[in-house]
This record gives sequence, C-alpha cells and structure tokens, in this order.
Amino acid sequence: MSHDQKSIHLRDMHGLTVQGPVEWTEEEKAEIAAIVAKYPTQRSAIMPVLWKAQRKWGWLQFEVLKLVAATLSLKPSEVMEVATFYTMFKKEPTGKYLIQACHTLSCALLGADRVIRHIETKLQLDEHGNSPDGKFTLMRVECLAACGSGPMMQINDDFYELLTEQKVDEILDAMAADRPLPVPRPEVDQWTYTPVS
Amino acid sequence: MDVYPRILSRIWGVPGSHTLAVAEQHGAYNAARKALAMSPAEVTDVVLKSGLRGRGGAGFPTGRKWTFVPPPEKRGGKPVYLLCNADESEPGTFKDRFCMWNDPHQLIEGMIIASHALGVRRAYIYLRGEFEYVQRRLDEALAEAYAKGYLGENIFGSGFSFDLYTHLGAGAYICGEETALISSIEGYKGQPRLKPPFPAVKGVWESPTIVNNVETLAAVPWIIENGWEAYKAIGTEQSPGTKLFSCSGHIMKPGVYEIPLGTPMMDLLNKWCGGLRPGRTLKAIIPGGSSVPVMTPAEVAQANMDYESINKVAGSYLGSGGFIVMDDTTDMVDALTNLLRFYAHESCGQCTPCREGSAWMYNILCRLRDGLATEDDLVALRDLADNIHSRTICFFGASAAMPVQSFVTKFRDEFVARVESARAGLPAGLAVAK
Amino acid sequence: MPLVKVNGIAVEVPPGTNMIEAAKKVGVEIPHYCYHPHLSVAGNCRMCLVDVEAGGRGPDIACNMAATEGLAIRTDTPKVTQMRKSVMEFLLVNHPLDCPICDQSGECRLQDYYMEYGQHDSRLADAKMGKGKRQDIGDQIVLDAERCVQCSRCVRFSDEVTGTGELRLFNRSNQTQIGIFPGVRLSHQYQGNLADICPVGALTLKDFRFKKRVWWLKESESVCGGCATGCNILVHHQENEVYRFTPRRNDEVNKSWICDQGRLSYKDVTSLKRLTGAKVDGQRAELPEAANAAALLLKGAKVGVVFGAKATTEANWAAVKLVRARLPNARAYVIEGNDPDAFTYQDEILVDSDKTPNRFGAALTASQLGSVGDAEALKAALASGEVDALLVLHDDVVGRLGVATPKALVYVGTFKNATSSAAAVVLPAAHYIEQPGTWINRQGRVQRLRKTVAPAGDSVADYAAVDAIGRAFGGAVIPEMPAAIFQELAAGVKALNGLTLKGLGHGGQLITLFAPSPGVDQPGQAAPAK
Repeated sequence: MSHDQKSIHLRDMHGLTVQGPVEWTEEEKAEIAAIVAKYPTQRSAIMPVLWKAQRKWGWLQFEVLKLVAATLSLKPSEVMEVATFYTMFKKEPTGKYLIQACHTLSCALLGADRVIRHIETKLQLDEHGNSPDGKFTLMRVECLAACGSGPMMQINDDFYELLTEQKVDEILDAMAADRPLPVPRPEVDQWTYTPVS
Repeated sequence: MDVYPRILSRIWGVPGSHTLAVAEQHGAYNAARKALAMSPAEVTDVVLKSGLRGRGGAGFPTGRKWTFVPPPEKRGGKPVYLLCNADESEPGTFKDRFCMWNDPHQLIEGMIIASHALGVRRAYIYLRGEFEYVQRRLDEALAEAYAKGYLGENIFGSGFSFDLYTHLGAGAYICGEETALISSIEGYKGQPRLKPPFPAVKGVWESPTIVNNVETLAAVPWIIENGWEAYKAIGTEQSPGTKLFSCSGHIMKPGVYEIPLGTPMMDLLNKWCGGLRPGRTLKAIIPGGSSVPVMTPAEVAQANMDYESINKVAGSYLGSGGFIVMDDTTDMVDALTNLLRFYAHESCGQCTPCREGSAWMYNILCRLRDGLATEDDLVALRDLADNIHSRTICFFGASAAMPVQSFVTKFRDEFVARVESARAGLPAGLAVAK
Repeated sequence: MPLVKVNGIAVEVPPGTNMIEAAKKVGVEIPHYCYHPHLSVAGNCRMCLVDVEAGGRGPDIACNMAATEGLAIRTDTPKVTQMRKSVMEFLLVNHPLDCPICDQSGECRLQDYYMEYGQHDSRLADAKMGKGKRQDIGDQIVLDAERCVQCSRCVRFSDEVTGTGELRLFNRSNQTQIGIFPGVRLSHQYQGNLADICPVGALTLKDFRFKKRVWWLKESESVCGGCATGCNILVHHQENEVYRFTPRRNDEVNKSWICDQGRLSYKDVTSLKRLTGAKVDGQRAELPEAANAAALLLKGAKVGVVFGAKATTEANWAAVKLVRARLPNARAYVIEGNDPDAFTYQDEILVDSDKTPNRFGAALTASQLGSVGDAEALKAALASGEVDALLVLHDDVVGRLGVATPKALVYVGTFKNATSSAAAVVLPAAHYIEQPGTWINRQGRVQRLRKTVAPAGDSVADYAAVDAIGRAFGGAVIPEMPAAIFQELAAGVKALNGLTLKGLGHGGQLITLFAPSPGVDQPGQAAPAK
C-alpha cells in the first residue's frame, strides 16, 4: 500500500524537485552555526534555517526538510510539522514573484476584492494562482498588519500599499519586465500620520 | 485637541528617525543610561507606579507582570528571558510596525531597561514572518547599537551586559499569544501551552520569561526619563498614558495615532481620523482589533478610548487598539464572514471547540452570505460561538466567538434579513419587501 | 495530603494528583480523549471540562488541574453536561461516522461518549473534510486520518515512550492531520500500543483488522510469558479461541504498554509447535499411561531435575515435592540462558534479554532441595554418569546444552523442541493462558496466571503434569486446587511466606529476593531462602 495522496498535504508537485544539490555550502554551514549560536537550544534555529533553505531552493521539498532535520539533529517529522504549521513556508514551488494579497476586513472594506480580481485578470492566473509563464503566483492571505494603507499586497519580501488598479498595473508591469522594482519604502513613513500636539 | 506629550511617536516623521545618529539627537539612550544607574528594583518600581498596561491586547499592568519573575534563588539556576512580542497580527492593528520602522532605537532602549530590571542577559524580538523588511531595519539598528557599545558587554560601563536578537516567524496569527510565541521560538509549532505553569515561572527554554508587546516596551524609556508621575498624569486613573491606535476602514485619514487614553471615541473618529467619508453615516466600529465585540453608533457616542469605558459601555475591549470603522455601505454579514474566514484559517488546531468550531462557523456564514442558510443555521451559529468561548487553552477561542456573538446580537436584523431572503428564494443580499 | 471534593464527596489524594484521577477514586468518571495516565498532559480535547466550586476558576479541564487543599469540582451540573455535549458535537463535525467498517467499533470513545454525553441531533449542513484512509504506516498499524480526533496521544507516545517521533499532527486549523513523514514507517517494537491508546479508530492493529467485533470478546487477566518483565495482559477470547492480547495496566511493571512480540504471541496458543498429546517413545499415549512410563524411568535412577524458568512456580514446587516424596537422591538444576528459538530483541523500555518469565520462581523452588547446579554442573554430571535420568520442565535443555542427554528423559512442556524430540516421555503442558499458577518476574513480583481458555488437546496444567508422575508413583504430591498449592508453596518457601493467591490481587506482590547491595539496582542473583 502506498501513501494515500490525501494523506500528506506536502507533496512534490508534478514530481518537481528543487534545483541543484540539496546540501549546504561550507559558507552556509558557518552561517547556520552562527544562527544556532543565538539560541540556547539547537532546535530554536529551525525557523531561521527553514527560511534560509527556502531562500536557497525556493520552496521546501521533502529532501530539503530532511536536510534541515539532519542539520539540526532533528527528525524529519519534527521539521515537517513546523513547516506545515506556518503558512509562509512554501510547500510547493511558486513563481518568481509571489504576490500575497491581503483580503481581511480592513483591506476588504477598502476594495481588496476588486484589486485582487484585477490582479487575477491581468496576470491570467489559473485556479492555483499561477500565471501562464509561471512568473507570478498569487495567494490571498490574511491580515498583514497594513490595515491603514489597504488594499495592500506583499510581493516577495516587500509591502505595496494603498493599492489601486492603476498602481497594481505599474508594479506588476515593472516586475513582468524584470525592471528594477518600484521602491515601496517611503510610503510607510508617509502614512505615519500623527498630529502634533 | 488637548496638549499632551508624544511618547511613542516622538520622532516619527523626522527624516532618518530610524538611525542612531538622529535618534540620539532626540535623546535616545539617555533613559537607558539613567536606568542602568538605578537598581533593578527601582526601575521596576517606576514602571509599576506609572500604571503602564500591556499594549498587546490584554492590558495587564506591566510592572506587576515583571514582579512575577521568581527571585534568583527560586529559579533553579535558570536565566530570565525577555521576549518582545512583535508578531502584530490582530486584524486592524499595525502600530507596532510603525514603532519599529520609525524608531527602532526606542524599542531597543526599552528592552535594555526592562532587561536590567528583570536581570535578563539575552532577549529576543519575535517578528511576524511578513515583517522581514522590518527585521532588516531592526538588525541595522542593533548593529549600530552594538557598534556604539549600547548592547553587548558592560553597557555604559554599568557592568550590565545584554544581548538582543531578532527572530522571524513564518505566518501564524496565533504566535501573538505569549505561550504560542514561546513554543514558536523554541522551534515548535506555534501552539499555546497550558497554564499553569505561567511563563514568568516557566516559559521559554523552561526558564522564567516575560513577554511584552513592542508598544509596551517602547513606552518604558520615556517613563524612566520623565518619571512615573508624568506618565500617570496622562490618561485616566485606571488607564494612564498614551496609546497608539491603528485606524482603518471607512475613514478619511487612516493611520496610527498616539492619543491619551480616555479620549472620547468620537474625537478619535472625527478629529484624528478625519471623520467618515462625505455623505456616509456610521454603522459600526470595532475598537480594539478584530477579536473584540463590535460597537454600535450609540455605544460609540458614549465610549472613551480606555480599558474601562469601552467595557462598561459596550461590553467590548480596548484590545490592541485596532480601530476599524465601518460606514453604512458595510454589509455586516459579509464583514463577519470575512472575519471568520480569518479565524478559521488561523486556529492552531489544538483544542477541539476552536479547531472544528471556527471553521464550522465560517461555513455557516458563507451559506448565510450566499443566501443558503436557514433560521436553524442562525441559531446554531450563535450556539457554536457560545460553545467555543472560554472553553479552549488560549484566548483564541473567545476571539473567534466574540465577533460572532456581537455581530449577530447587535446587527440581528441584517442576519435575519439574509435568512428571510433565502427562504423567499431571492438572490443573496436582496431583502424581502416589508 | 490535600483534601479535595468531587461532586461534594471528599477524598484525600497525594498533592499534584490530577482531578481525573482524584474523581476516579470516588467513582466519578470524567470523560476524556487526550489525557492518558502514562503520557504528558496535552489538554486539547476539552472533554474533561468541569465546574470549579472552590479553589480555582472554572470551567477548567480536570486533566491539568492539580489537587490542592480545598479544591472542589463538580461534574454533575447542567453546564458540564452541556459542555460535554458540545465537545462531542465538535468532534463529530469531520468524523466520517463509518462505524460499520471501523474496527474500533465497540471500544470507541466517540461511540461510548456519544451515548453517554452526546445524543445531539446533527445540525451539520456542510460537507465533511476528507482525509487519507487506509494508510499503511508500519508493520502493525493502519492509519485512517479522518477518524482522528487530534488528541495527540500517539504523538506523545512516539515522543515520550519510544522516542522515535514518527507520528505528527501536520498543518493547522481544521486541516490538522495526523501523519508520518513520507517514506518513513513505524519501526519500533511498540506499535500495537498506538492502536490501544488511540481513543478512536484512527490507528488500528493490522493483526486484529476485521477479525472480530469486540463486543463478542471476553477479557481475562493474565501475564505475558515472553520475557522476564512479566507484562500484565488481557486475553481476549470467544468460545475458547483467542483473538488478541492487550496490555493490562500495571504502573509498577508495564504501565499501559506491551511490546509487539508479546502482543502477537497469542498466536502461539494455536501454534503447530504445540505439544497436544502425551507421548511415550514417540508414540501417542494417554496421560496416565505416559506418567506411568515416566515414573518407571525415574524410579531408582540417578535423577537430575531441571527446574523450569518458563514453568509456573507451582509446577516447580510439585517437582520439589515429587523429589522429596519419591526421588530422594535427585539433584536440582536451573539452566541459565534462553532457548535457541527465543527472540533476541531487547530494549530499555520493557523487553528483557531474559526470555523466561519465571527464572526466580525456578531458582527459589529448586533451592529448597539444597544446592542447585547450573549448565556446566549438569554437563559434568551427565558425562560422569552421576546423573543418568532427567526430568525437565519446559526448558529446551537439549537445545541449550548441545550435548547428548540420557535416554531416560521425561519432558513436561508446552512446545515441541529438541528436548521434546529427544525425550522418552512427553507430558503436554497447557499454554500459560490455559492454566492457573504464578510467576515471579525480574523485579521479584509474584504475578498470577489464570485459566482463560481450555487447554489445547490433552494438555494439562504444568503442575498437574508433574503431579501425574507423583500419582503414578502412588500418590499425589500436591493439592488439586491452585489456591491450596500456593498456600503450601507460600508456607514452604521462606521468601513467599505470608502470601496468598488471592492476596496477589491484579497487580501482583513484590517479594524480597535479594540481599540489598549498594549501587546495584538491578536484580543480580537469586539468594537462597534462609
């Protein structure tokens, strides 16, 4: 009897495996040692090391989870348990640009649904949220703590806020062409609005 | 608007406020110098007397929490840890991100002072996974502080040595619950733990642990520098000081506002938030983040922004200060369905009522929203919420239940109308003509 | 000791006792799924929510409530009834309700508690979540993820008892799912316990799958004979057929566990290797006929009696009595080591390297005859002709010693082996679950065997087989009733003085076998009774 497909949510999609050998370089090993040194227990480094693995291989294939387990003297099941609990650890490959669009209340009140539908149409996303060229993946996610500047989305590590259809177009067009990305940073300061007494 | 000192947002908006140089021009680390010259007990005493309450949501007096750490002889040789809760993930709340982004040194300074008071050698800032870019800014600030000798060995020549690290989560609302945060930083699933034991006695790595919110710790330097009397003079007797309110929704000027506790809610709405959009009327406000009971306009008119008033007037809570305003365009069934999707998604999956109940409530609400629900469903919905509230390990169960309980009670007509239109075979949302 | 109250009934319990156990003491059952007395407290199922009258704030879970002076809880309030009903409702939301095809049926806590505390009409109008069924996750276990109630007992067992940690609850929210890392299989020797502790039908034992509805089975107490640990077991049987062994709780011996080898050893009862008829010179014989032949062989011979570390203490005692009455010059031997066909596995959890259940019983009784010889002594005696006839109880002496044995060999045993093949007379002994008696385990705990099913074929209790030889000599050497034999045994063997069969209770009685020696906490050698 083999594993029932439904039994494990982590699955190697279409037999995909990560690119390159699943092993750390000497330099990475030293960096991991430095991470481990930050904590009293080796196990505490599990999330930082999973992040590191995800940055390196793009997503967390079973083989990667096994490597992380071996790196920290843990059982693969312990690493998988953590990897499946947290939604930002990718259990499947995604496009180069992972768009996480917030659809929770504050953003929804300000038209998040409209913006997300615009993204879906613009990028011709399939039911899994992937664009035809595989460059973009869209996920609808819960609150990202940018409620005052919604609708908003996170693309890879960065927040893009106060979205309108027009603004989404500018951002996504730039990314589609792999032009330098618009820098979203100043917007946060701009929205640091505090009346002076 | 009355005159009051800006405590937390003092240097927000100043160009380069996040850099050590600019922050020091505005007095950063003076309080730390002062605190390190005081005894730990004196520092705790000042915080205790200031009446500062935890800004993460529960509002527990910070100074009292600090006193729960057992004395050294009762720690079994274990160190004390301080964890800064920067998991900010309560929908409607985004103030901590502003604190860390605009004035990271204020938080670092607050943690130095708190650690001195608590006898902490190593502390951690736990950031939600999506705050990776905030972590980068914090790490830069930490590097600056280390370079100047404000962190590390023998800070300011006081003999106090202290290390501070950042730790990144990976997408789990529940990690804002202090025991879940502890589980998470230990490298486990972020699932809340049974109490007792309480973290102050046995927390992270089986050691005494204090978990404080970003805003709480960021308020500490000002209190040390200006004295507890100055802090206590702001706000109300039970709720002293200022608080950051994250204001979002149908308002003209969303943003983070620092106001004295006790400010009338209508003032926050009209004076700071710029009021509603032109031509619209108020339907509801969630005053303290998505988990707290919703308030009606009549309740809003009577309430002040402090811990006691909101509870007394509306049975709701100040929570984390996530102020979500909904005007008359809001469909309350849709709004509640939206919130329950969040709770169904974020339940840690540990306790039976919350794991099964939050998703079940969401399913019922989806049918209600889509015009497929019956009166029985409405009864069941209310029942399920009551059956989850207070019957789980952590407060999440109550957090998922309270929006349901308050929405279906205070905006009952809208829910009943959905059921009636469903029974009449009308498209979802189309009301039955009276 | 703090005095606590459960439903108004006061009871004194050791400090820190949790309230599920405290309530048990006054006969109040607090329903639970996740709590298990031999695992850490998880507190997740919420079935044990009770009202707190005094000494705390309620409602709270009884499993994580430590007894302190003055603590008073109630389980009989409408609120508690309502809470239990509601937890049952939540647990069944995503449960497949596939009881007809579920092996747990009849011993399922969802079924039991539904009858007692649930009884709600379904108001679920939404589809249930589908999860993986029939997953082969180990040699002994099948996993059905959608029957799981996420109580995490199996996860804690794998972490805390076996330390292997294969099972985990993956994902979160209502997507939470019990599972195992892809490509990994359960590899430990305690898998069957997972099926036992699983309160529902998520983890079931392959061996028992679709064999029998449990409500037809009777349970009888016994002790596993697989090794010197002496794990307490329940024999599940119907109409003289044994369907399974399950562990019986004994906190001092095996907690709630048993190894898989022990669990599956019920199959030995019907093994083709059973000796089911008496034999004389390889020919089937009636028991009295074979006993006569044995008596003839031993009478006047230079007899060596090999006391059996797998025989009951009663059979060994019968041998002592036989020697005293009829074979005054016989020498006593206890042969160390295991039979050649014994399992070699051992661990620090339960499984002992000594595969005999009653080595101390054999040593204690043999020593009643004075000096006791070992394997080397027996070999030497056989070689020199000082011993020219053997009476062997259970042990495969031929297999163990690997030397030629005398033609005058009488074997009393349950299974065929090299000794039974070599024996001139074979008297078939019942399997240990087929007869009463006692064993003394590695701790020096006297534990009781019971007749749970009828002996196979012509086999009789091992002590009765020895006694049959006595009768052939001219008179019974021991009384007939087990309690009377034990009474005689307890009176005759100093270490057992004062014990009664009934007094052994369900959990057995510890005796002092060993002179205390500092720094040694493992039993060393049986000291002769003084």
